[in-house]
Amino acid sequence: MAGGTPIERGALTHPDVERLSDVNRDVLRALGRPGLGWWALFALAAAGVGLFFGSWGWQLYRGIGVSGLMSPVGWGVYITTFVFWVGIAHSGTLISAILFLFRAPWRQSIYRAAEAMTVFAVMTAGLFPLIHVGRVWHAYWLVPYPNSRFLWPNFKSPLVWDVFAVTTYFTVSAVFFFLGTIPDVAAARDAAKGLRKKLYSVISLGWRGTDQQWHHFGKAYIFLAALATPLVLSVHSVVSWDFAMGIVPGWHATIFAPYFVAGAIFSGVAMVITLTVPMRKIFGLEAYLTTKHFDAMAKLCLLTSLIVLYAYLSEFFMAWYSGEEIERTAFWNRLFGTYWWASWTMLTCNGLVPILLWFKRVRHSIPALFVISIFINIGMWFERYVIVVTSLHHEYEPWAWGVYRPSIVEMGILIGSFCWFGFWFLLFTRLLPPIAIQELKEVLPPPLRKQRQEVHS
Amino acid sequence: MTDGIKRRDFLKVLGVSGAGATLTACSTENVERLLPYVTMSEDIIPGVSTWYTTVCDGCAAQCGMWVRTREGRVVKVEGNPNHPVSQGALCSRGHATLQHLYNPDRYPGPMIREGDVLRQTTWEEAEALLAQRIQSAAGNALFIGGATGPSMARLVDAFVRAVGGRRVQYDALSDAPLREATRIAFGVDELPRYEISQARLLVSFGDDFLETGASPVEHGRAFARMSAADEHGSKGRFVFAGPRLSLTGLNADEWIPIRAGAEAALALGMAAAIAEDGAAAGPYASVVRAYDVRTAANAAGVSEDTVRQLAERFAEGPSLALGPGVGAHHRNATAANVAALILNFVAGNVGRTLHVGGGPNVATRPFSEMEAAIRSMAGGQVGVVMVHGANPAYSLPPSSGFAEAFGSVGFKVSFASAPDETSAMADLILPDRHFLEAWGDSMPRSGVMAIRQPAMQPVPHFDSKQTGDVVLSVASRLGHSLGGATFYEHLRGAHRAMHGSDPAFEAAWREALRSGVSGHDMGGASGPAQLRGPDAALTFDLPELDGDGDLTLLVHPSARFGAGEFANSPWMQELPDPVSKVMWHSWLEMNPRTAEARGIREGDVVTVESPHGSLEVPIRIYPGIREDSVALALGGGHTDFGRWANGNGVNAVTLLPAVSEQPSGAFVTVATTVTVTPTGQRRRTVTNEGSSDQHDRPIAPAVALAELGREPAGEEEAHGELKELQGVGGFVPVPAEGGEPTAFPLEGSRHGNYANAHEARARWGMAIDLDKCTGCSACVTACQAENNIPWVGEQQALMGREMQWMRIERYYEHVDAAEASHLDVRFLPMLCQHCSNAPCEPVCPVFATYHTPEGVNVQIYNRCVGTRYCANNCPYKVRTYNWYRYTDENVPEPMNWQWNPDVTVRTNGIMEKCSFCMQRIREAENRAVVERREDRIPRDGEIVPACQQSCPAEAIVFGNLRDPNSRVSQVVRNERTYRVLDEIINTQPAVNYLKKVTFHEVASGGHD
Repeated sequence: MAGGTPIERGALTHPDVERLSDVNRDVLRALGRPGLGWWALFALAAAGVGLFFGSWGWQLYRGIGVSGLMSPVGWGVYITTFVFWVGIAHSGTLISAILFLFRAPWRQSIYRAAEAMTVFAVMTAGLFPLIHVGRVWHAYWLVPYPNSRFLWPNFKSPLVWDVFAVTTYFTVSAVFFFLGTIPDVAAARDAAKGLRKKLYSVISLGWRGTDQQWHHFGKAYIFLAALATPLVLSVHSVVSWDFAMGIVPGWHATIFAPYFVAGAIFSGVAMVITLTVPMRKIFGLEAYLTTKHFDAMAKLCLLTSLIVLYAYLSEFFMAWYSGEEIERTAFWNRLFGTYWWASWTMLTCNGLVPILLWFKRVRHSIPALFVISIFINIGMWFERYVIVVTSLHHEYEPWAWGVYRPSIVEMGILIGSFCWFGFWFLLFTRLLPPIAIQELKEVLPPPLRKQRQEVHS
Repeated sequence: MTDGIKRRDFLKVLGVSGAGATLTACSTENVERLLPYVTMSEDIIPGVSTWYTTVCDGCAAQCGMWVRTREGRVVKVEGNPNHPVSQGALCSRGHATLQHLYNPDRYPGPMIREGDVLRQTTWEEAEALLAQRIQSAAGNALFIGGATGPSMARLVDAFVRAVGGRRVQYDALSDAPLREATRIAFGVDELPRYEISQARLLVSFGDDFLETGASPVEHGRAFARMSAADEHGSKGRFVFAGPRLSLTGLNADEWIPIRAGAEAALALGMAAAIAEDGAAAGPYASVVRAYDVRTAANAAGVSEDTVRQLAERFAEGPSLALGPGVGAHHRNATAANVAALILNFVAGNVGRTLHVGGGPNVATRPFSEMEAAIRSMAGGQVGVVMVHGANPAYSLPPSSGFAEAFGSVGFKVSFASAPDETSAMADLILPDRHFLEAWGDSMPRSGVMAIRQPAMQPVPHFDSKQTGDVVLSVASRLGHSLGGATFYEHLRGAHRAMHGSDPAFEAAWREALRSGVSGHDMGGASGPAQLRGPDAALTFDLPELDGDGDLTLLVHPSARFGAGEFANSPWMQELPDPVSKVMWHSWLEMNPRTAEARGIREGDVVTVESPHGSLEVPIRIYPGIREDSVALALGGGHTDFGRWANGNGVNAVTLLPAVSEQPSGAFVTVATTVTVTPTGQRRRTVTNEGSSDQHDRPIAPAVALAELGREPAGEEEAHGELKELQGVGGFVPVPAEGGEPTAFPLEGSRHGNYANAHEARARWGMAIDLDKCTGCSACVTACQAENNIPWVGEQQALMGREMQWMRIERYYEHVDAAEASHLDVRFLPMLCQHCSNAPCEPVCPVFATYHTPEGVNVQIYNRCVGTRYCANNCPYKVRTYNWYRYTDENVPEPMNWQWNPDVTVRTNGIMEKCSFCMQRIREAENRAVVERREDRIPRDGEIVPACQQSCPAEAIVFGNLRDPNSRVSQVVRNERTYRVLDEIINTQPAVNYLKKVTFHEVASGGHD
């Protein structure tokens, strides 16, 4: 490619990119020597990973009793956090697959980070069912495999569906992620030396950038995108059925699947914002992650926020409209019961705060978006907390009502899970090009074409 | 062949080294007590239970017991159906006696105090020391207690006579005022015998006969028979008069919240209304005349109409009035009991529902004799004091001076088998055997005799010796022969004397051991008795209360701890109190309006101050208490009683004066007023009560007596087929409105969890009659004992992690001291409902819970991964989870000897729940096969789950719902039958409840 030739500025998605060669330089710079900021964050994350596994180890040693779980609240922070991370995982595939198929012009700059986020979020989420069960050493019984006991898992149980949903999603999103990185890793390989070069050589699977390779790559990418698209909808639907299939008042509702999918995209996009804002700052990628991208993400947040808010309101409406006293009590209790603060946090963060996104000035302010995205993350965690805990603590049998208080170990694992996720994400920013170079170049106008235009005119 | 090791050589080496390793592993170090079945005992078949009869010594009632042993260890106690007192049932405390047997805090052997430490010694040395000290005391020996059966009492009497000294009977809880009142009024020095089941109107003047009275199991059964609606729609009425609703009170149909101590006034007022001029009251005519209805109503703090109406109904008969029991022993308790007897007399109940004499045996003058003993100890007139079966250092208030007086005695001996506050001060401890390891006899009432026989070899961890043996041995060292070298010989000698010839005695002895009862129960029937004039001064007025506090303190015995002797049983500590539902710690009950007026909330720690002491205790708001009173249960606040008792709660007696009631000599429990001031601290109440209001849900509905038999016939018809299908189990979808129930079983139901249901011969189910259930919680402890259910401790219970498979829910529909005309409390034993359409089953990812063809919802512990989804999806919340290794960590050796070998001991991280006592079902099924019965089905009534077995009220019936002639099917075919929440969520439970029947119209919670 004619690297040094200046490209046209202003008319494109990335007005500040001057040359195609800048893309390689700027993006691959992230893979170079890390700054103090990165090291500080990485040390924090590594410490958090220690906390995570330390807490889990203590729980394994002492018993699940170190959590605050009790009767009637058998699911608490662990399942809340599981659903939270599965939700986060959603927007990655949405951005990379669905938006790819729809040819949304703003996805190129963020999709790599979003996909990485997806993979790491599923890796985090997938640990929580293991953390949560009482006898993790027998958790493999949930997997159907031929055995001498002639025992299969119970395919009626939504938890078995979960096993399939989460493992499928992890496999597909990981393959999708690695496939998409091949040309970029090859570019990094060409710039790297030593161990890194060897690593990249392996990951890039011998990419040479031939026409045939590009042809196959393009086809494979489209097929995988088509394959991943239904997963975006199905996985979180299945997760929602963990609840909807139960008869717990507050769980047993048909709205759960779409409600959870919308919520997942909502939280996932918010998390992409939360992650890309510091990434852009630390690696100096302002030219590639522009307000235009953030504006588009903010609009997606706004849309899903409205869907989620609608779901909240329709749940309350249906509880009232059903005339079922137990259902009504459950939702009354949601707003004014022991856990009123959780519900109001959820409504404020997910329903009220995103109203700000109607304003263009807010959508174009990166600091404002960052703050709002944090609110949404908090709100979406509390949404799951409300669904799981508030519903369980006031069920059918008033005598058995009880109050759950998360323990310090659960908090350690919750915080540790963020660090575990951050740990992988920080490694990702240093090891793989955090922005898709080849796709970015696709949307930049080729300098040759411009020269030819000049000749013709 | 190549070189290297040959196959044959390899095997040789393997064999030799393997055998060597095995031998080493079998080293006899630390296993001194290996007992192989070289000569197998005839009584022991491994895997098969051996049952022995004996008598419970948990309280003075002395219920007959069946003791189940496995491989030589006692694993369960149950009521002996042959015994006229227990009639097959047992209370919670009776079950908990088992934990005294295996109490890890028992003394390891005889102990001698050397300075501040106890040194374990040999029995030889200990007995020699005791003999020497008694000799040097020169006739100044004092023996406190010792009344564990007539033979033992006689032996101790003979002993103190021989060595010079005296015996003082002491019983912290004794119905002495009633005994004294019967003596005064009728000249018979025994408790009267109540025929509660014959009464149609029962009035209790503060007698807590269901939980802590003279014979809770016997009276509980009689009460359930009296008060439950029968097939003719008839039901006895129960009125409770007292300042606080005890468990007995909560079972009443009406509550007359009289002032503390006003029982005599109310009883006499009623007597006056019945016998206008008082002439019928004979020598008490003047008393009755003095208490006309108006005076009585004023004194009691109730309206004249209340007294008059109650009297009118009482006169109709057959009725029965019960005088104040232990929880209402105020300074005029004997007079109040006399008043109740007068009322019974004028209403014509004597000789009909009340028989003079023949009632349970209780101690006489239990405290006034003790007062004299304290004086003589303090006066230095006692050389050696021996304490057996009593713990006065704990159960007497500090102001009694017991501790100082006891401490001043030169040589103090305790026969306590486990530490208590009295033995903590003793110089010599000679640990007695538990009654399940020892011989003895019992006479719960005149005419009824039973032998206590050991059900197992003494627990080897503890070098104990039966006190009867010690007494005989010490006596012989001092040169006295009291008959027999061992207590066993002595006992047989005493019983032989009752019989003429030896062969007759041997047969009678064997029969007494086999059946668990001997002697002839006279039934207490007696002819009409005549009232006698009083030979002691009686005051019928309101009793004096100490201090000028604004609240009356009601101290009552605990349904779980008695007077405190069960406080070291973790089963009892973790059993929610039947009234307050609080576990582990103490609480002060206060009326909500009183609390509101003082700005006190539930859980506020308050200082309770009486003229005699003060305590800090958290508040429990309780609507079933008068606004001018607060209540505190006995049994908490131990300091030297063992790991589970020490430091739990407060000891209520420290607030009380050391006063004995006159003329009965009983300890006064309602004696003082108190002031209550908040400390500003708070403490969360440890309870399993989420809400005491059932929020109008179809959980524990009731039906008015007048409504019985009025259900429109059509409605029953419409659902007839459906109900029947549900009754026999299997998944039956409820048809759409107006549609026919689909053919059973459905095609889809032949698979998965519901496969083969149509082939099963039995559909196990249960019926629980809520009109009989008294909420006594015996079933909860029985279940815990049978099914190896661990306790979790106070902190875990506070988190809501208690493990009991059963709980008694207590919903208030109408409890209000301000307008307590009709009382409506719903007790609901809640256990796994074994739903035909169980929400827990489909959600388990690994089939750890599934449905047997016989309709039992079972939990496979080994398969459970611990996702807890089943518990979340259980609408009844009857699944409990092992959050820790409770069975390892909480159950020290030898407490684990109690584990039932037929039931898996569960570990960390798995779910468990009621199994309908599957092990008992299997046992009966196996028996049916072994006995080569034609159908190989257990007979109806052969399978009795632990809860049913224990229930004094006969409220629980288990059996085959598919057999239309089984007892459970017959009970279920009742218009009162309903299934909890079934109409809302179609769970189709196998547990059928029969609604409670009320006299008043059901205003709320009816839902039908």
